[in-house]
Amino acid sequence: MIINVDSPVLEIHDLTVSYDQSPVLWNVDLSLPAGKLIGILGPNGAGKSTLIKAVMGLIPITGGYVKLFDRELNEVRSRISYVPQRESVDWNFPASVLDVVMMGTYGKLGLFRRPGKKEKKIAMDCLEKVGMQAFVDRQISELSGGQQQRVFIARALAQEADLYLMDEPFAGVDMATETAIFQLLQEMTAAGKTVIVVHHDIHSAMNYFDWIIMLNLHLVASGPKAQVVTEELLRKTYGGKLNLLTKVTDIIRQKDFNPLKS
Amino acid sequence: MSDFVYFFTFQDSSIAFVVIGITLLGIGSAYVGTYSFLDKKALLGDAISHAVLPGICLGFMLAGEKNPIYIVTGAFLSGALATFLTSWLKSNTRLSDDAIIASILSIFFGFGVVLLTVIQKSGNPEMAGLNQFIFGNAIAILEEDLYIYGGLAILIIITLTAFRKEFSMLVFNADFGKSIGYPMGAIRLVFNVLMILAVVIGIQAIGVVLMAALLIAPGAAARFWTDKLGKLLLIAGAFSAVSGILGTYVSFVIPQMPTGPWVVVFLSLFAFASFLFAPKKGVLSRFIARRYYLKKTHQDHLLKLIYHGLESGKNSFPIEEIYESFPYRKRQTKHTIDELLKTDLLTLNQGLIDFTSKGKSEAKRIVRLHRLWELYLNEYMNIAPDHVHDSAEKLEHILTPELEALLENRLNYPKLDPHQEAIPRDNDEL
Repeated sequence: MIINVDSPVLEIHDLTVSYDQSPVLWNVDLSLPAGKLIGILGPNGAGKSTLIKAVMGLIPITGGYVKLFDRELNEVRSRISYVPQRESVDWNFPASVLDVVMMGTYGKLGLFRRPGKKEKKIAMDCLEKVGMQAFVDRQISELSGGQQQRVFIARALAQEADLYLMDEPFAGVDMATETAIFQLLQEMTAAGKTVIVVHHDIHSAMNYFDWIIMLNLHLVASGPKAQVVTEELLRKTYGGKLNLLTKVTDIIRQKDFNPLKS
Repeated sequence: MSDFVYFFTFQDSSIAFVVIGITLLGIGSAYVGTYSFLDKKALLGDAISHAVLPGICLGFMLAGEKNPIYIVTGAFLSGALATFLTSWLKSNTRLSDDAIIASILSIFFGFGVVLLTVIQKSGNPEMAGLNQFIFGNAIAILEEDLYIYGGLAILIIITLTAFRKEFSMLVFNADFGKSIGYPMGAIRLVFNVLMILAVVIGIQAIGVVLMAALLIAPGAAARFWTDKLGKLLLIAGAFSAVSGILGTYVSFVIPQMPTGPWVVVFLSLFAFASFLFAPKKGVLSRFIARRYYLKKTHQDHLLKLIYHGLESGKNSFPIEEIYESFPYRKRQTKHTIDELLKTDLLTLNQGLIDFTSKGKSEAKRIVRLHRLWELYLNEYMNIAPDHVHDSAEKLEHILTPELEALLENRLNYPKLDPHQEAIPRDNDEL
């Protein structure tokens, strides 16, 4: 069940991604509508993070292409915000909350130029939106997991983008933070922004998202929640191992080259 | 002493030059090194500094003399080759990082030593100075060489300052930088070039063997003192510059004494002192904090003991009875009672101990926290009443007023703990 839309915000065409030798995403082909809260679901190792990293050009693509707002990524970077996984950075880095949130303004600021009053003002506003204004001068090493996540989201807001790609923003946060973040994301989509979220918990996903992408090495489903959340598709995504696909991956890994690479 | 005055008054302009040079070099390499330390790439600096030796020797062989341009270029190229090989091996083999770094370091250095031996056997009279590249000799640096090293150091400092936001992002979150369109690959390349340059300018003053210490130790020592990047860089630069100057002084005073080892000795002193005495993160202040905590714990327990006595109907508390309650700890107990008398929490009258009103309310506070926590464990975490005491005994000392308010609120201002003992409030009568 893959539902396509006209004039999509994000179009992924026949995308294949490999790490070293092993393919981790097979021929993903989908298009996504604007102004929706979109969840990417799938079991561990399904390639969820890989998908958004490939969209952001952070890892090389083996085949296919990605179009954002019907353009190449480099032409529309300022309209796109990426929130990496919280665990992907070293929170012992000597920086304050303000320093990190201000990074959100660096894209528009460009190289060389140092952030000034205007950038600080933007950062403060965004911290207020996530309820962290009291922590502005706090060292990031002193934050809890939920607070770290809020700081990352504030940084994304500071980018003032139209499309947000977030990698596990709900991972390891407390219930209060989860609810607060979810409300914020809803406000963003109500204002016409598109938010794509990698998410691991199916139960909360049913409440949170308008549109759901189900992934397990290949695309199982993409469409409005009401249409794609069926027992059969969930079983295809989470249940039963993809024995055959895994075996093919193993064969490719043992070869000296990746035949999928052009 | 006269040496000391002579050196530090800079009467000799060549000494002044060397000191300026070593200061710039120290700040530059500490600056680069702090970033690579934060990036957890400290070992790469060690590999690069050993790997420049063959380049120095080849530069010497080509020039036939100690020409700084040839030597700096040779050192830079061989450092660059080592850096490139490190990342190439990492992406094209399954060798682990440490194996790659160790191989590069030893292979390049071994090759360098072979070349050095060849040059020494050749009987070239110019080769006398070449041994200095192993352990460094700041005093022997010629003035015209200093211009090159100092100029490169200034270039490093300026570049790192101008690109501070880019390099911070490279270390903290390179993926994010890439996602906003920054050329992170190019920034990484510039950073590696700066790192190699920092090694190259240090080789004559510090020597290839110990240059890594000048890169990493200042940042590592400074990290004990601050959590702010700006301050971290300043402190690291200061440690490095001062060690550099002191090392140079020693090799000035004692003939034939190499500079590098002495710089490292002074750097180690700074690092060791930071490890011991830095506020908050230092060993000493952690020791003091722990002592303070234990003292406070004993005070709390003593106050509780008297409170429990009053609760069970005692009217007076002989001081001897308190000593007996803490067997084998009489000295500590006496000390604690003295403290409590001094801080006006207890009174002592003819061998009888009693609360002041301040002392009573403090004792109530501790007992209250203890019993609130017991009740919380029992009600919210389903822990049996006979299992809650030990945890409360520890947490009563650290629960904050905010947590107390939260507990009161959650438990709805309870009257009794799980053992049916009263939870005392400030206005309650005993």
